[in-house]
Amino acid sequence: MAEIQQSGGGNDGKKRAKKQSTRVDMTPLVDLAFLLLTFFVLTSTFSKPKVLRMIFPEKLEKDNPNVKPPEIKDGLTILLTANDNIFYYVGALNKETEVIRTDYTKNGFRKLLIEKNAPLIDKLKKLQLELADAKEGDTATRNRIERQAKDEQMKSKLVVLVKHDKDATYENIIDVVDEFLITQVAKYFVVDPGLDPIEAAKIQEQLSN
Amino acid sequence: MPKVNMPRSTPALDMTPMVDLAFLLVTFFMLTSSFRAPEPIILDTPTSTTEQQIPKQVFLVMIDEEGRAFVDITNAAVKSKVLKKMMSQFKSGGLSDEDINKFAGVGPVGLRMAEIPTFMELESTERTAYEQRVIPYDTAASKIKNSELYYWAYFTKIEAHNDYKEREEEAKLRNMEFDKSNYIQFSIKAARNAKWDKIQYIIDVFREAKVKEFQMITGLENAPES
Repeated sequence: MAEIQQSGGGNDGKKRAKKQSTRVDMTPLVDLAFLLLTFFVLTSTFSKPKVLRMIFPEKLEKDNPNVKPPEIKDGLTILLTANDNIFYYVGALNKETEVIRTDYTKNGFRKLLIEKNAPLIDKLKKLQLELADAKEGDTATRNRIERQAKDEQMKSKLVVLVKHDKDATYENIIDVVDEFLITQVAKYFVVDPGLDPIEAAKIQEQLSN
Repeated sequence: MPKVNMPRSTPALDMTPMVDLAFLLVTFFMLTSSFRAPEPIILDTPTSTTEQQIPKQVFLVMIDEEGRAFVDITNAAVKSKVLKKMMSQFKSGGLSDEDINKFAGVGPVGLRMAEIPTFMELESTERTAYEQRVIPYDTAASKIKNSELYYWAYFTKIEAHNDYKEREEEAKLRNMEFDKSNYIQFSIKAARNAKWDKIQYIIDVFREAKVKEFQMITGLENAPES
């Protein structure tokens, strides 16, 4: 059955190899290869998502009398409301506080932050230059500069509070925090309680204008 | 007129280099791609300019527009341990060890503990059709500690710590360098237009479980020129 076919009898037993093409039809193979290729190209995702780190303080006991809400003297307070509206005011809140409207563009909110945070941005820039000058192997200097940068961030005077009403979206907060990262604001807090009645009234005033 | 000689046989093309290349690419994509477990919901996440990569191991909470929560733990061993603890906490039995291990590969789920046994009985194809509702969570301060979401976070926090310690000891035993980056981190993946209030609730639930640091998963956006 599984005999190899001998050359068809006779001719003094002289074997003559049949000339046969060694080519294999590769078309099905190629079809398959490209099918797989297309599949993997289409299913694979290259851009891995990135993460934005946020740290929240530990939950405070509500009845703890020793914990007072922080008083804001010259901080910046940002108010996020429905329809991507964004407002801010400087300093403490009272009847005379001026609530100003801004927007998420780079000439709006970012410009404001850059102005407010200019001292820290300058210092960090200087340190960055120093770091660039430092030699690759000089870890002592590098560490010192990095420590200095951290110190400057700790000492930063600018404190930004982010407040929001119930209509602010997740995207709003992420955008705002992202702006803080861009403008290197070192101290910012997203606070739980909603808007103060005075703030809400002032926003209404702004919106109706 | 000269006669044009038509070739008798079909023109043969040497396809070997092409096949080589095709298979090379196939191999590349096969090796680089990792399959994600099917996700019960598709979220449109906001974008940010951060360059920070997503941690290798995460406890993932997905939150859709209505504030429904889904959870996943990417570390299978930790996930099955957490599930076991969840089952004893909520006294919902009826899962074999095999089911528990299978559950680790299912991906994010939004199921009540009571639903999980029914869910695991389904074939994997039926599971995608199963309407997942939500991991229950209650935001009233007094009730946070009764909610299932709280326990998911709480047990994961404990198990993540145990897992970390175990691997640290093993590395020490074998005199190998210990890879600290595998620590399970808490991340939140939420829809762009989810209300921040809802996310704040969920963060509050986690803060109750002593989790303070979160990684917000975002898409990539080009950083502005300085």
